[in-house]
Amino acid sequence: MTTGQLALVDGSKIIIEALAQSGADVFVGYPITPSNWTYKYAKQRMPLFLAAPDEISTLQWMAGLSATGKIPVTSSAFPGIALMVESINMAYAMELPMVIVITQRLGPSTGSATTGAQGDLMFLKGIISGGYPVPVFSPSCFEDAWTLSNKAVETAIKYRTPVFLLTSKEMVMYRKSFDLGRLKPLQKHTHQRQITGEFKPYKPEANDTPAFVPLGDDEFSTRFTASTHDQDGNIRKADPEAMANTKRLRKKFIRNIDDLFAYEWIKSGPSAKTLILTWGITTDAAKDAIKILTRDGKNVDLLVLKTLLPVHQKLYDWLDDYDKIIIAEENLTGQLKEILFGERAPGKVTGVNKIGMMITPGEIVEAVLS
Amino acid sequence: MIETKEKILTGKKFPFCPGCGHGISINQLAKVLEDLGYKPEDIVIVSDIGCSGLIDPLFATHTIHGLHGRSPALGLGVAMGLEQKPGKKTIAFIGDGGATIGLQHILEDARRNVDMTLILLNNLLYGMTGGQISGLSTRKYKEIIDFEKDIPPFDVVKLAYASGARYAVRVNNPKNIKEKIRKAIETEGFSLVEIASLCPSYGMKKLPELMAVADDEEEFENNRPPTHIVSKERNSLFDRERYFSPEFEAHAGKRTGILIAGSAGGGVQSVGAFMAQAAMLSGMQATMKGEYPITVGTGFSVAEVIADKNEINYTGLDNPDIAVIVTEDGLEKVKHRITADTKVYLDEKLTGKIDFSYKKLIIKPFHALVNRKSAALLAVAYVLKKEQLFPLEALKKVLSDHRLKDIFLDTVARVEELE
Repeated sequence: MTTGQLALVDGSKIIIEALAQSGADVFVGYPITPSNWTYKYAKQRMPLFLAAPDEISTLQWMAGLSATGKIPVTSSAFPGIALMVESINMAYAMELPMVIVITQRLGPSTGSATTGAQGDLMFLKGIISGGYPVPVFSPSCFEDAWTLSNKAVETAIKYRTPVFLLTSKEMVMYRKSFDLGRLKPLQKHTHQRQITGEFKPYKPEANDTPAFVPLGDDEFSTRFTASTHDQDGNIRKADPEAMANTKRLRKKFIRNIDDLFAYEWIKSGPSAKTLILTWGITTDAAKDAIKILTRDGKNVDLLVLKTLLPVHQKLYDWLDDYDKIIIAEENLTGQLKEILFGERAPGKVTGVNKIGMMITPGEIVEAVLS
Repeated sequence: MIETKEKILTGKKFPFCPGCGHGISINQLAKVLEDLGYKPEDIVIVSDIGCSGLIDPLFATHTIHGLHGRSPALGLGVAMGLEQKPGKKTIAFIGDGGATIGLQHILEDARRNVDMTLILLNNLLYGMTGGQISGLSTRKYKEIIDFEKDIPPFDVVKLAYASGARYAVRVNNPKNIKEKIRKAIETEGFSLVEIASLCPSYGMKKLPELMAVADDEEEFENNRPPTHIVSKERNSLFDRERYFSPEFEAHAGKRTGILIAGSAGGGVQSVGAFMAQAAMLSGMQATMKGEYPITVGTGFSVAEVIADKNEINYTGLDNPDIAVIVTEDGLEKVKHRITADTKVYLDEKLTGKIDFSYKKLIIKPFHALVNRKSAALLAVAYVLKKEQLFPLEALKKVLSDHRLKDIFLDTVARVEELE
């Protein structure tokens, strides 16, 4: 059943439209392949578009804009994201909402700009000094690109944080027939000022997150700082109040992880003892693999992770139910596998990994049957 | 009763070493802001790292404290965010160390000329890490310490002016600081005030010594209006989307993968999209991927199209059913992807270029009939006619809405000459 809105579209367009509808109001960027299409669409769609001279400026401008109440977005690939890292840490410590779209390409370094990959998950796992978690959502299809972009804006505002949308070259640069009428209207997210008692810039309120008061506010003078600080936003060394504030940066995500967690099950029946676990662009191949296996009478479940970080402990309970687990992802060593199980996964866990080309349905089927 | 001015400073004790020059500039700035009637809520102080970065608690205003060398960039973000709020003022501080790291940010601020002021406290050295030199340490100072004395400092004032700052000034004499800060604050656009500052711990301990080694005072103005940042609501990207309701009946049902290989400028990417859209007009699902060098104007250009009556998940094209190859660039790029099952449609001029045998090979003179921009389209039209994947009429329908429809439809019509 179509809605008459069948179009030949790409993921970049869906992501930028969704971010704009969700409340993102400024795009700051420096172009890099393969994120050029998000840049192009943002220029057409975002209320404010700023062409920064480099990626450090990009993140700094975003932080300044965010501190005044804007919801900024950028997109880049690893070489650009690497330049942003110190500033991303700054925004994380200041607790500034923003969305960073990563279009993964083949590394290391400049690697191959027009070859897709799923190689930046491990980088994001450790991107915040001290090992603090940062929300990472990864779309596996165009519907996800739509809903997770909305969730990224919602999460950025609700928890006052940078949020990553981890895509890949294939997601943002191939075009596919898609019925745009299947995309439901999105809720626009805005800052809600809820202050109990006296205002302090870093006093936790709802969701273990401080109320957001922008720079230039007429009611309160506020402070933002990237250095270790107390609730007033004054720089402190490791005193108890400052340490409690620093620990809260992790706690706000871990305590509210149910709110962040997104995933999709395709279950073949109650008896399946084999699970394919995947994320991002490999999901397409995994879905085809399931079709082939089902046709051949094999009972195999598929779990698509859409919130990759922080890891929800519930995931381990689910995995306990299977005798065999195949984790398919387009990188050399199995980054999700390593995040979940370390360098030595249990015997029942196998990775299907590849670089330079997408993993095929046949390769996943083979791993299931072997 | 006379209304008292609202205090810009909190009254907290300054954190600077005894005799440090930074406090003078802070006090003078506060006086200027109070004289001009600013309230604390109207001001955003953006601070950097280093001794000049310790100032946040001194100000009762809004404050934001970021990274080393980045306050001009962070400040520009703040200033752009406050553009819609009249009466607000963004003032960033930086030291000479920060200015060395973030020199490009200062030039960018000057070039953009958004309303903000940058106060550069130049004590000629890195005070927080042991007195090392910066890019703004003057040659006279470096002669005293006998290090890198032949390397000149950046003249940030002149650089900012040359980059378009509305106002840029260097002040050495403390008596002039208030006046120059006031002029900067009153300037609408980007203003830079570089202030020579004593560092009694590592550098110049007395004012006459500092004045003797500082670079000369200078003052520049550009007669250009400030840049205003305007947000504008825009229409949905989907508003201009072209929708494809099935009008034709596809002949092929099963998944068919087609490689179209040519050269830059040959319309390959457009032809790939037209083909996918024609499949959609025929009730099929379709994907289209492009591949070309980063230098888009030269070399190969390859489009991959998959059409299927069923949903398409995996978009890889591992075993192409059809390959359309119209140039040597294209041939070189895709020849290793041809399998025994692939039916190859090859331009006649490439006949001598293949040094291997294709099991299914059709050779036609596409380039002989049309120019290089149209050969891929003609070849694809021919493939549709021969393979009966979906009607050629669907392709014509797609092309009939294009601004170049006359050229395109004329090209497709020449398919009859290929028999």
